[in-house]
Amino acid sequence: MKNPLTLAIGFVLIVIFAALLICVQVRKSNVVVITTFGNVTRTLSEPGLYLKWPWPIQQAYVLDQRIQNFSDDKLEEAMTSDSYHLLTMIYVGWKINDATNFFPKFAYGSISEAETQIKPLLRSAKSAVVGQHPLADFVSTDEKQLKFDDIEREILKKVQDQLNQKNWGIEIKFLGIKKLGFPDSVTADVFKRMTSERQVLSSKTLSEAESEASKIRGLANSQSTEIIANADAEATKIKGEAQGEAAKSFAVFQQNPELAKFLLGLNAMELSLKDRATLIFDQHSQPFNLFQGYSTNLINPATK
Amino acid sequence: MSDEHDHSHHDHDHGHEHPAPVAPELAPLEDAGSEALSQALKSSFGIVKIAMVVLVVLFIFSGVFQVGEGQRAVILRFGKPVGVGNEALLGAGLHFACPYPIEEVVKIHYAQLQTVKSTVGWYNVTPEQEVSGVEYPAGPSLNPAVDGYAITGDGDIIHTRATLTYRIVDPLRYEFEFTNAPVTVQNALDNALLYTAARFTVDDALTREITRFQDTVKKRVTELVQKENLGVVIENCQVESRPPRYLKAAFDEVLTALSTRDKVHNEALSYENKVLSEAAAEAANRTNTAQAERVRLVESVKAEAQRFNDLLPSYQKNPALFANVFLVESLGRVLTNVEDKIYLPERADGKTRELRLQLSREPRKPPPGQ
Repeated sequence: MKNPLTLAIGFVLIVIFAALLICVQVRKSNVVVITTFGNVTRTLSEPGLYLKWPWPIQQAYVLDQRIQNFSDDKLEEAMTSDSYHLLTMIYVGWKINDATNFFPKFAYGSISEAETQIKPLLRSAKSAVVGQHPLADFVSTDEKQLKFDDIEREILKKVQDQLNQKNWGIEIKFLGIKKLGFPDSVTADVFKRMTSERQVLSSKTLSEAESEASKIRGLANSQSTEIIANADAEATKIKGEAQGEAAKSFAVFQQNPELAKFLLGLNAMELSLKDRATLIFDQHSQPFNLFQGYSTNLINPATK
Repeated sequence: MSDEHDHSHHDHDHGHEHPAPVAPELAPLEDAGSEALSQALKSSFGIVKIAMVVLVVLFIFSGVFQVGEGQRAVILRFGKPVGVGNEALLGAGLHFACPYPIEEVVKIHYAQLQTVKSTVGWYNVTPEQEVSGVEYPAGPSLNPAVDGYAITGDGDIIHTRATLTYRIVDPLRYEFEFTNAPVTVQNALDNALLYTAARFTVDDALTREITRFQDTVKKRVTELVQKENLGVVIENCQVESRPPRYLKAAFDEVLTALSTRDKVHNEALSYENKVLSEAAAEAANRTNTAQAERVRLVESVKAEAQRFNDLLPSYQKNPALFANVFLVESLGRVLTNVEDKIYLPERADGKTRELRLQLSREPRKPPPGQ
């Protein structure tokens, strides 16, 4: 009763132990390298369960087959073809595409080891490509002149070519510029230039505003003069019409021009003497001719 | 001492005679001990058995797992996803998987929006500083290793940062093809910011074309993540840009100039309005006056004519008398109005009198209120 159970448990344990020795599990996104006496003999890249000889004949190493992010940790200065110092930082996405070559090259397939080796390749490719382009290929307001994508592609190609040559089993999936900058001292110059740009812009804005405003004012003034002149012309025309209309009534006066002259003369006199006038009469003027013949002090000049 | 002596003596005497009775005395003792031991072992073995059964049960039930809302899970059997393509994705609810190492459960946050931020173009500031508003003072230059910035198309420097939200549409790719997909997205965002700034002028990026700037960043990131086949869709992209802090005063000056320009422009417009409406009023006034003049003139001439017609018959009867009467009548009217009336009779000798007048008049009294 006791023995079969113990035996069964023992058997199961042995099976599990044996399974651990001879089975290899390849997890999705991993690649497993099998070495036989230290030499790579198989690589398993499809997920699933595989068999191998137990240690010490064969050994399994797990490598990550996913895309790794890597970027320079520090900005690097390179000279553009038109002698600008440009700092650049790039990122890459790379993966192991050939574990057989990758594994022996980097201490048991170490990712960080591989990145240490990739870094100088990236740097040299980067400075080589930057040196072939003027600054305007990196930054420009002219879409046609910009070669941002081309530059990234060129760096990628250079790095990939070198990697292929070295046969490290590494593939660069994508590469991009992550940071662009000028050296510290150049930024100070840029700031000075920007400051003067701003000053020019603000004074230009102000003077434009002034000239625009005075244009508006001038136009308004001339328009207003024109409007008034038009109104004056209109008024003169109206007056002319009025005189024409009035002239029609003058026909009546033709019946007796003497009377007409007399009446108009009377009117004119009355109008002209309305205000603060001084009139001097002698004895011949009406109505003071009435005084003639009466005794006044004038009769006797001796008294004066 | 004596006791010890006694004992040794006694021992010596009966050493060979009584070995047996000692042994039977011990045997029942050993039996009882082993029995107790086996009893204890048995009971503890029982406990162990129960514990083992419990453990086995727990082991089996440890395979039950829950997938939350907005999560997806993939079961890897010996490392291989169970199911083909997106069929491998398990939705919300309870599921069962065999325990490790046979099967492994990978949970993926799926539905909620993921957020990444790019500060590669932003100056050196911690979130706490930003909240408190106390920042490192801005220097006359920027060390690119400390303060991030972007270079604009016209070679100027601006600070710009972005917050990106995206949705995972292909969780299998996102999870199993990239060691750190969020960082990959962030790198793409960094790149898009630089790429966009490199083709905008400083004024377009900061003031005139903020929306287009943002749209260009979003477009670029979308292109990049598609090219890199990340299995994500970009939902939203918020970009914030700022002039360098050291140049704040200069940039503010331009803003002031711009608002002054608007003010000056508006003032000119209101002047134009005023002048034109005044001119229109004046013009209307002048034509109206002319019109009134016309009416008055025509009417008065008509009235004159009427009066002439009325007076003509009596004039024709005796022109001299008529004239005399009218003249005197109007003189009478006039003389009441005239201020100074001087009667100057002829000298007795018939010579003309000499009269001297001072023509400088006293000024009119100014009307009150002026």
